Amino acid sequence: MKTSSRPLTYFLLWLVSAIFSLPLILMLSGSLKSSEQLTRDPYRIWPEQWNWSNYLAALESMPFLSYLANTMVLCVGCVMGTTLSCAVVAYGLSRVQWRGQKWIFSLVVGTMLLPWHVTMIPRFVLISQLGLYNSFWAIIGPTLLGDAFFIFLLRQFFLTIPEQLFEAGRIDGLSHWGLFWKILLPLSRPALATVALFQFVQTWNDFGGPLLYLNDPKKFPLAYGLERFVSSYGDQTHLLLAAAVLFTLPIVVLFFLAQRTFIQGISTTGIKG
Amino acid sequence: MFCSPWILGFLLLFAWPFVASLYWSLCRFDLINPPEFVGLENYRRLASEIGTDRGFGRALSNTLYFSLISVPLSVAVGVMLAVALSTKIKGQSVYRTLVFLPSVIPVVAASVLWLWLLDPECGMVNYLISWLGIPGQNWLNQSRSVISPESVGVLTNWFNGQPLKLFGSKDALILMTVWGVGNFVVIYLAALSDIPTALYEAAEIDGASALRKFWHVTIPMLSPVIFFNLVMGLIRSVQTFASIYVLSEGTGEPGGSLMMISLQLFLSAFADFEMGYASAMAWILFVLLLACTSLLFRTSRHWVHYRAAA
Repeated sequence: MKTSSRPLTYFLLWLVSAIFSLPLILMLSGSLKSSEQLTRDPYRIWPEQWNWSNYLAALESMPFLSYLANTMVLCVGCVMGTTLSCAVVAYGLSRVQWRGQKWIFSLVVGTMLLPWHVTMIPRFVLISQLGLYNSFWAIIGPTLLGDAFFIFLLRQFFLTIPEQLFEAGRIDGLSHWGLFWKILLPLSRPALATVALFQFVQTWNDFGGPLLYLNDPKKFPLAYGLERFVSSYGDQTHLLLAAAVLFTLPIVVLFFLAQRTFIQGISTTGIKG
Repeated sequence: MFCSPWILGFLLLFAWPFVASLYWSLCRFDLINPPEFVGLENYRRLASEIGTDRGFGRALSNTLYFSLISVPLSVAVGVMLAVALSTKIKGQSVYRTLVFLPSVIPVVAASVLWLWLLDPECGMVNYLISWLGIPGQNWLNQSRSVISPESVGVLTNWFNGQPLKLFGSKDALILMTVWGVGNFVVIYLAALSDIPTALYEAAEIDGASALRKFWHVTIPMLSPVIFFNLVMGLIRSVQTFASIYVLSEGTGEPGGSLMMISLQLFLSAFADFEMGYASAMAWILFVLLLACTSLLFRTSRHWVHYRAAA
């Protein structure tokens, strides 16, 4: 860019960032306004008074803590399930040589292209037959069997680890499992962290799974609980926004803590894909 | 042995469901009674609804509208944002973060937020566009969309003093989708940083303008990533579900304008218990998606430039 276009670039970038962040600023400010100010004067960003009580009211008007506990159980279960199962499978697809490996790998990639619509009904039948309907296992269970996207991501990472290290391990008499636990996993912390982070966010946000498999309000996670809240408190915008902020905040905090992991995870899988 | 969890998962969660749904698409099945083979009846019903304003026909045209506009728009906006955000400028990382942040907001929270922002009475969007002289739109309360034959009529009526209500619920959904374009921007940014500066220097020596450099260096160099994002965007857009469900409270309203294939399929299966009909719909969607993807792959030969390995 020539120097003459500098101020214009600044202005455009400022404008674009303002447009993208305005909804979030409004969400925050709206969640702090009184219900009365929100209807009388919805466009002013600065609240007349900071009604932190909106948050308390939002917490009380739905079983927020119970939803949160359910979300946490699901997140912990799914993160552990995915990280472990995908690491094992990706190890098998990258560091162990066997016939049919290439074939299996293309099947793994192929499943990424299959829309959920095709498998939804049979999976539902299967899960009900197993007696897992309305149980957290309906959502955690499948993560124990690996996820194509994460297997792909881990495999690409495992392939970058120098073969000499495995060679050395073999000379020291390590079995495949020994190599996996003692050499591969310690060296793959960044990639495993990416998988754990993405799975956490995915489970935290997941709406379709709970909608399909859970019908007991005591078991609803936040994403589903919040949607139920919209149907029953649709006119209480200030409470709705406060609840949405509470639901969003952990993800935003996580993003700022792990920004590098987020960005790298997205850009590497994007390019390698 | 290490792959056995995935192989088990593949058999249980993909292979068997794949075969079962194909078989059930030829059956009448309500989950309670055993499936009853009816041949191609479900497909005949789907075909009879194409071109009509109900069932599958409506869902298909809604999905087509949403995908055909939101996917190219996301690609265009994403590339432009990435190019702007790649200029070396003070505060670059702050701008990047602000553009990326919306894409990490959980869909349900984002939908709740946009329900309010798009409110015709007190929503910020109508307030902002009024600064540009555009009258308030009905957004999520209007079933018709901006790109439709009726818009011509609305425009002519506007000259005669009628209110200009162009945008509808699907346009609202597209707006919200484009707001979450941040993760595509990240992919473009990574690709932009891989373009050798020598190419730009060479173009400069040849006296190329900024615009020419954009068209003849940036776009061809980005083309593999653009192609990747087109394919992923297409797959993602037809699978959009949570935002549609929250915005329309699971009804597809107003006037069925948010009844996309994913929502129609979900309701046919779990509200009407027509598993056969829903499975047939899933298969048609799958085949259509495959056809579109392979069409994209076909055309990609003409416009995607893969760099020779250096």
